[in-house]
Amino acid sequence: MTLLELKEGDTAVISRVSGGKGISARMAGLGLHAGKKIRVVRAAPFRGPLLIEDISSGARAMIGRGIASHVEILDEKR
Amino acid sequence: MWKSLTKSDNTEIVIALAGQPNCGKSTIFNAVAGFKVNTGNFSGTTVSYAETQVYIGGRTVRLIDLPGTYSISAIDVAERVARDYLLSGQVDVIINVVDASLLSRSLELTLQLMEMNVPMVIALNMIDDAQKKGMEIDIKALTSLTGLEAYPLIAVQGSGVHELFDAALRVSENGFRRVPPVYDRDVEECIARIEARYPSLLRERLKVDTRFVIIRLLEMDEEFERIVAEVDREFLEYVIENRRSLAEVHDWPESGVFASHRHALVLDLFEQVVSVKSRSGMGLSEKIDRFIINPVGGLAATVGVFFLMFAVSFWFGNLIAGLVEAPLESLGVFLMSHTSGYTAMLVSGVYDGFTAGVGIVLPYLVPLLVILSLLEDTGLLPRIAFMADGLLHRFGLHGKSVVPIIMGYGCNVPAIMAARNLEYERDRIITMLMVPFIACSARTVIILALAGKYLGAGYTTLIYLGNIAIALGVSSVLSRLSEDMSPGIIMDVPPLRKPYLHVVMRKVWVRIQEFLLFAWPVIAISSIALAVFSYVGIDEVINRVLSPITTFILDLPSELGITLFLGIFRKELTLIMLNSALNTADVSTVLSSVQLLVLVVFTALYIPCIATISTLWKEGGWKVALLSIALNTTIALVVAGSLAFLL
Repeated sequence: MTLLELKEGDTAVISRVSGGKGISARMAGLGLHAGKKIRVVRAAPFRGPLLIEDISSGARAMIGRGIASHVEILDEKR
Repeated sequence: MWKSLTKSDNTEIVIALAGQPNCGKSTIFNAVAGFKVNTGNFSGTTVSYAETQVYIGGRTVRLIDLPGTYSISAIDVAERVARDYLLSGQVDVIINVVDASLLSRSLELTLQLMEMNVPMVIALNMIDDAQKKGMEIDIKALTSLTGLEAYPLIAVQGSGVHELFDAALRVSENGFRRVPPVYDRDVEECIARIEARYPSLLRERLKVDTRFVIIRLLEMDEEFERIVAEVDREFLEYVIENRRSLAEVHDWPESGVFASHRHALVLDLFEQVVSVKSRSGMGLSEKIDRFIINPVGGLAATVGVFFLMFAVSFWFGNLIAGLVEAPLESLGVFLMSHTSGYTAMLVSGVYDGFTAGVGIVLPYLVPLLVILSLLEDTGLLPRIAFMADGLLHRFGLHGKSVVPIIMGYGCNVPAIMAARNLEYERDRIITMLMVPFIACSARTVIILALAGKYLGAGYTTLIYLGNIAIALGVSSVLSRLSEDMSPGIIMDVPPLRKPYLHVVMRKVWVRIQEFLLFAWPVIAISSIALAVFSYVGIDEVINRVLSPITTFILDLPSELGITLFLGIFRKELTLIMLNSALNTADVSTVLSSVQLLVLVVFTALYIPCIATISTLWKEGGWKVALLSIALNTTIALVVAGSLAFLL
């Protein structure tokens, strides 16, 4: 299951970031490593990015849908 | 291991501010150096390094403000600037600035910097934000675990900055206690194996710590791999072999295995240093944020911001321009009646330049700059990026281009440089070519002062909307020409922050100073030059050369040739020289409404100014610069020419 399949308000744990070194390095830079518990705060209109919150730190980042499809997660629902 | 770096007192100490984006490096820099660099609440405000000389405690310090970088393996151009500087071996002390409220993420870079084995202190900036989040940071524990002194500070208020720099100087004199991060046993064994075979030739070639180099290689750092391959191919293969087996043992991709070990260390360190109590309730900024990230609220905020930007500039500009008009006019009459001959020519040149600055440019410029500063400081830019990303995809861009685009309304030069934050070359070049279509403050002054004054608010709005449509059209066509696909956006969304009045005022003042010190003299000199030109007759030559464009395509008086020519140097000049070129105090008596519209549209779009062209050249190469000139001029001729033909 990937990040893309989550809905607003859902929480999940990142299990793996695929899709090349650039993407995983950028995700890691923002603190979004495997094992991190995240929440989808909002999905932007017009198939825009997802606003993700790192639950432990409260930090937020936006991730485009193309990249979100490379982020594998373990679903936790709400 | 103790490292002593004692230096004699007369040498300059180089202190570099390094840290992740948006942690407040530039704010600290400004607190020490006076307001010298721009700041903002979004990742990537600084894209090139700035330096200044300051005297602290009787010592000469060269202070370097580096662009933010998430990690030492730089991904975009701005990060590369930071990395290259850090690796250049010039830095005596690193001040690792961290956003204390994001300590766990920030420590990833801290550990990488520690591996470089350069004296370092930690600046725990925005400590108030961390406290609001209920975080309690045990600074003593942090120091004993890392060997690094750490100081809490709130840089925007200037608190804690003194103590921080005292410590940095102390570390530069007394050396520091090196506590390199220690990894799992098998990782350490791997490093030791490689270190035993480390070629001495490489030690001479790379003047950085050997353990650091090995770790870079284990992290698949392409640049280090290239250098090592040049020096000792066999050694590189040995490293790769070790890296592969490490990845296999831990069942991780080769590129991520080392980072995952470091991440484990960071988590461990974070847990030992930070305790989190329950956080306080939702603050006002979070409530505003919840409204803005809603589709409806976000759209309202985005449209509202643009409306405010131009409506306030227009209204305020008209108000002030109207107020100063009469006094300036009587000053002019007074000057003219008291001078004659050559003196009169000179005085009238200076007077025209002065009037243009006070009466036309500043009234519209100041409100625009205030609003742009507010946009930067509050953190609205990333939110607009979030809302606009989906739409921008249809035009071949993505949300990250929002920052350069909006900055472009101030000045195209920093906007083109801001494209350094885009990770992919394709996105960067499209954005760089699109920015010159954005009506910068100089062109906004022209639009507001001509279209706003003579054609009304409706036409002015249409001109802006048309301008945006053309810019989006250009990027849409360019993106279709490129075969690469943009993978999309990953971008930090910092919390909304209350803007500080003193910061906004300083930022606006610095930009006005640029106008006063740089642009105004150019305007004054051009005014005099124009007076001389017309005396000698050079202006007629230029007018005649440009007349196919002015009279034939644009249906404008040929006298405007010289003003459009001067506009290449500073866009404001087109407006400022208008009156003297047409020899009138009221251009609407000479130009028809259609001609005014054509003139405004043409100046908004045609060839970028010299400063923009040279920035494009530096940032993208001569091809990008030439392409931009061709694109802008062609589109300006086609659009303004069709308007002249059709209306």
